[in-house]
Order: sequence, then structure tokens, then C-alpha cells
Amino acid sequence: MRVACCLVPDLPLAAQLRAEPELAGLPLVLASGTGPRAEIIGVSPEAARRGVRRRGSVAHARTLCSELRVRALSPALEQTARDALLDAALGCAPRAMLAPRASGAYAAEAAVLLDASGVTPLFRSEAGFAAALAARAGALGLPGCVAIASSRCVAHLAARRLAGAAGEVCVLPPGSESAWLAPLPIDLLGPDDALAETLSGLGVRTLRDLLRLPRRALGARLGPPVLRLVALARGEEPDLPLPVPEPSSLFEAIDLEFAVERLEALGFLLQGLLSRLLARLEARRLACGELGLVLSLEGGGRDARRIGLAAPTLDLRVLVRLVCASLEARPPSAAVVAAALETEGRPLALDQLDLFRPAGPAPAALGRTLAELAALSGRERVGAPEVADDHRPDAFGLTPFLPSNRGCASRVEDQAHVLAVRALRPPVAAEVRTQHGRPEWIRSAVASGRVVQIAGPWRTTGGWWSREQRFAYDYFDVQTSDGSLARLRFDHLERRWQIDGVYD
Amino acid sequence: MVPPPSAPGSPADRRVAELLRELGPQLRLGGLPAEALARCPTGIPELDRLLGGGFPRGRLTEIAGPGSCGRTSLALALLSQATRAGEVVAVADGADAFDPASAQAAGVVLERVLWMRARQPREALRGAERLLEARGFAVVLLDLGAPGPRVAAASWLRLAQAAAATSTALVVLSLARAAGAAAELALELAPLRACFTGTPALLEAFDTEIALVRRRAGPAARAVSVRLRGQPAA
Repeated sequence: MRVACCLVPDLPLAAQLRAEPELAGLPLVLASGTGPRAEIIGVSPEAARRGVRRRGSVAHARTLCSELRVRALSPALEQTARDALLDAALGCAPRAMLAPRASGAYAAEAAVLLDASGVTPLFRSEAGFAAALAARAGALGLPGCVAIASSRCVAHLAARRLAGAAGEVCVLPPGSESAWLAPLPIDLLGPDDALAETLSGLGVRTLRDLLRLPRRALGARLGPPVLRLVALARGEEPDLPLPVPEPSSLFEAIDLEFAVERLEALGFLLQGLLSRLLARLEARRLACGELGLVLSLEGGGRDARRIGLAAPTLDLRVLVRLVCASLEARPPSAAVVAAALETEGRPLALDQLDLFRPAGPAPAALGRTLAELAALSGRERVGAPEVADDHRPDAFGLTPFLPSNRGCASRVEDQAHVLAVRALRPPVAAEVRTQHGRPEWIRSAVASGRVVQIAGPWRTTGGWWSREQRFAYDYFDVQTSDGSLARLRFDHLERRWQIDGVYD
Repeated sequence: MVPPPSAPGSPADRRVAELLRELGPQLRLGGLPAEALARCPTGIPELDRLLGGGFPRGRLTEIAGPGSCGRTSLALALLSQATRAGEVVAVADGADAFDPASAQAAGVVLERVLWMRARQPREALRGAERLLEARGFAVVLLDLGAPGPRVAAASWLRLAQAAAATSTALVVLSLARAAGAAAELALELAPLRACFTGTPALLEAFDTEIALVRRRAGPAARAVSVRLRGQPAA
């Protein structure tokens, strides 16, 4: 089996630069907080060149570098960057996994291991595959180096060896691993501090030095950790097949250093989150499905909402508009201190046009429009109309708008043109003077005057089994002297006259 | 360079020819040939003939008239033809007056209608803009209700421009003409008579007069009379 390892040597720093690309090239430190006494955890090369070191205080670092940028370490950013690294790998190979978190000197690194068997026909060579993987990780804002070897541990060690040279690749041909490993420094295996000191005391500097020592005697004196190092140095780590990851939702989050109140600023921040989410989806050749937005609010509140899409999309502009429309329709109740976006990747829907049917709106555009209309008027007021299965003449329903070919005649036939009703919602109250139970004069906001022509009554009753639903109406079609043609009804339960529609 | 037209006999024509000579050869009588627009027919032969085949796509058309004049019936006839031809239509309903039962009786395929029940006419206006941006709708019907809101001329121009970028027929229903010069066509309806016949009496038919009061390219001020059938009793 051939295994590739893509390694990002300083993940917290890379995650921060991924979220704020404008900081690239500037002296930057990551600290445990934003105060002057906060401990420095990560240092960018630019800051390191000015003498800033880890474990110092922010106040001291500022004395060394006046233009220093300080950011608080964000576990959320780090986690999303780690997931993005896995996405980059899954864009190249179906079997991939994140390497277990290392400790000691390599605690800041993140590595992903992926199956590189049989990639030559696709990428011309293993080096081509490694370069493609490095480019894909770089496109997601995670500059890393890639090594390919015959086992996970050797590939990981080789990638570690390259660390610091982003974009570099290294391919170890099968059978050459032992010779390649021998001169490497023992620190590359990441022994804990005590073991490293002991081995140094024994004069062990390289892997070759370690392998020269008797294994049994080493085990008896220094215990299982040294045996693990020996196995690593020999390239004997048991290699199980790499797994195919379970499909999971993609998550992007950001912790804000200042609470954001204005929707415009929040929209700008969410645009950054969305663009990173889309880049990850694109790397996995997926599109964005329904979005889940969770906003952490000042004071401990939480605002969670779902933003539906009619069709999966990778259009950033569309998604930003949908998110902004949702926020405008229902603004958060307090200032926002953290935001997280989640989506499940969906295969990108392709528009299948029909030879015999006119093309309607594109699914992505329709999804955006539906969301915008819902933001304007409310989700319950947008959809396809339907005639309700009810005896009330004014009953109707709304269903989700999913245009289909059903009900479409292949040929438009001639049809008599009917006089339509304009519904009045709610019905308009009318004062009616009757003679022998039939309306004679009407006064209302929509039709007034003497009744010049009339048809009816038609009695309609129903819902008798429920106090809330029962109804009993006498309907009349009336034309009044002002020219109005109205649908008048007498409500037997409420003992009142109403106009619930006008013929137009 | 186009020479000015030769002076025909009438004094007015001679005066026009004189003016053209004075203003220079850059000006000439006439204009660009009328653009052949795709049309959405209503299925009402008299009206389609009047409109030159139906409502123009990519243009704004107004239908105005008092209550009970038949404008909603006309709009439903248009929606019916479009949806039965397999197209998708939208209704930005500023009056919340769309009646699904009437639409179904008129032959509208309700599945292919996107209905936005706006809470107020201004919402419907914004909704119509969004619907035009989506493209792909054959007809966007904007119902401003009664009385319609006062809409700035700039808004009508924006709507007309949005429609021009699509192949959508934008149709505006209102009590009185509002879109002015932004409209390609304007129809004004006037009720003629309602026929209640039979024993017991039924609203059998309704006659209305449809006048083409504005046409951007070509003559207007023509009218036809249309008969609409009453719906079955409630």
C-alpha cells in the first residue's frame, strides 16, 4: 500500500491566516488571550524574525515588534481548519483519515493520511499526485507539504522532515524507506521530553544510532515507549487499511473578539465563513444544501436558524443574499460574539431541460427567490396555491412551490373564459336591507346601492362537528346600482352580512 | 447620410420638411423598425388580435379599470394559457385577492403558479422585482389592489428595465393607470353588462369593453368587447 501524508506544521497559525488572509506577511502571534500578560502560543515567521518567541508574554513581544498583530487562540478555527485538511484529502482520494494529534514539539502540527495506491494513471506519477494534494490544501488556505511512502509512519516522518517548506513534496520509492530513515534525527519521532533526554545521554542522535542498540535490552530498561520508537524507526508500524470517512456535515465557525451589532458587519463576517465553507465543498465536489446558522449572543443567548435552499448551490452571492435576507427578516436579539455555519454537502444538481417544455427558473435562482420572498412576506405566505378540500367557497391552501410537468397539457385547448372572483380577506362587513329575506339595498366598502340584479341564495353548511369549524352561509351574487358585482353572504351563526369576494 | 424626405402636399408635411432641412442632415423622419416581441397569448381571440398576439414578453403591461370590470379574469386567462403550455408563472399579490378556485376554473395549472401573498402593495412591488430577477417565469402578475399605492416613476422604470432583461411578461393590475411611460401597453376596462338569466336566476355572463389606450410602438385607442362566462354557483 502507498500512503500519502499532507502535513501542516503550525495549524493554529494556518487556521488564523485562513480566517484572516489579510494578515499574511505581517508579524502575527497567537496568544492564550488578548491581554498584555497572555502567553504567546504561536509565532509567525515574520514575528520570529523580529525576535518574538513562544511562551513569552504579549507585552514583551510588543516591545520587540511595535506592529505586532495579536490574536487569541481559537479552538473553533483550529477544528474547522483540521476538517478542511481532511476535505482537501477527500478531494483527491476516497480513503483518508486525520493523523492522531501529536504531543511535545509537534503538538501544533496537523496531518492527514490518505491512500495513494494506484494514483499514477490519474496523476501521471506519485509526485504529480503529491503536488495536486499540496495545491488543493493550499487552495483551502492550508499550505502544507506532502510525502508519499509505503507506510503511514514513514510518510508522516517524511512529511515532518519537509515541514517548513510549504508546497514541497517527497516521494520515497518502495524499499528505500530504511535507508532514508537511518540518518534522520531521533527528535523526528517525537519522543517525550524524558525519553529524549535519556536517549541523548546514551549518545543516540539518529535513527541509525537507535537501531544499533539491542532492542530487548532497550525495552527492558526504557519500557514500551522506546520499543514504539524502534518500530517507527524500522518502519514496522502495523498499517491497517485507511478508512472511508462517514459522510458528515461541514462546519465553519468563528469567535469574534468584539461583539457585532450591525447586520451589515455581520453579513460581511458571514460572507467569509461562507466562502471558506464553499471552498471546502468544492474541494469535495459537493454543493451547499440547507444551511444551519448558529449565532452566540452577548449575554449568553443563542440564535439558531435553518436557511433552506430549493437546490444545492456553490454560488457565494446567492448564499450571502439568503443569509442576509434571513437576518433582515429576523434580526438577532443581541450583539453577536460567535457565529457558526453548518451544511451537509449535496451533489450539485444539474438542470435537465425538457425538449417539449419551456425552461423555468434555474433551481438555484428559484431557491434564492423563494427565500427572498419568504423573508419579505413570511414563509407561510409564499408557495403554490391549491383549492382546499372544503365546502367553504373561500377555502384555499398553499403548498411548497415545486413546479412539475403534472397537469400540463401538451396542447393548449380553447376554453371558455370565466368571470373570476377577487377574494376579500378578511370578508368585508355589509349593511343590508332585505325584503322577503332577499337583499334589496347594500352599503359596504366595496359595493353600495340598490340591488339591481341578484342570484341565489345558495346555502352551504359544514364543520358541524366542531364549534370552531362550523359554518352556515347563504350566498348571493348581486349587482348593485354602483356597478359592483359582489359575492354576498349571510352568516347564520353570527347573524351578519359579509362580502367575501368581488367578481372582476 | 439620409436626405430629408421630399415635401408632400399638405402644409404640415411641408413645414416638417423645412424644419428637417434647417436642423441638418443628422435628423430624419421616422424611427427604428418596431422590434418583434415574443408574446404570451390570453386565448381570447379578440384581445389577442388587439394586442398583436398577446402580452409582450420582456415588457410591462398595465391593466386598469374600476372594480368589477373583468381585469382579474383577463389576467387569469393569461395565466391559464401560460401554465397549460407548461410554463411557470408568478403572482405578486399586493391585495391578497388571488382566488385559487377561480384560477382553477379558468384553467390555470395551480402547481405552476408561485403565489406571494404580500401583506401590503409595496411588498408586492419588491417581490415582483425579485421574481423578475429569477428569470424563467413566463408571466409575473403584480396586483396592486384597490386603492393602489402611490409608486414613484423611478420604481416603474426599474421594474420595466428588470422585465426588459428577461423574457417575462410583467402585467400590472390596478384601479387606474400608474406606470405611465414605463408601460409598453396599457389596457383600460369598462364593464358593459352583467347577464343574470334563468329561473332561478344565475350570473350567466359578463360583458366588458377592453380599450388599448397606450401602445409604445404603433397606434392605440382601439377597443374590443369580450364576454366572460359566469362561474358555477357556489
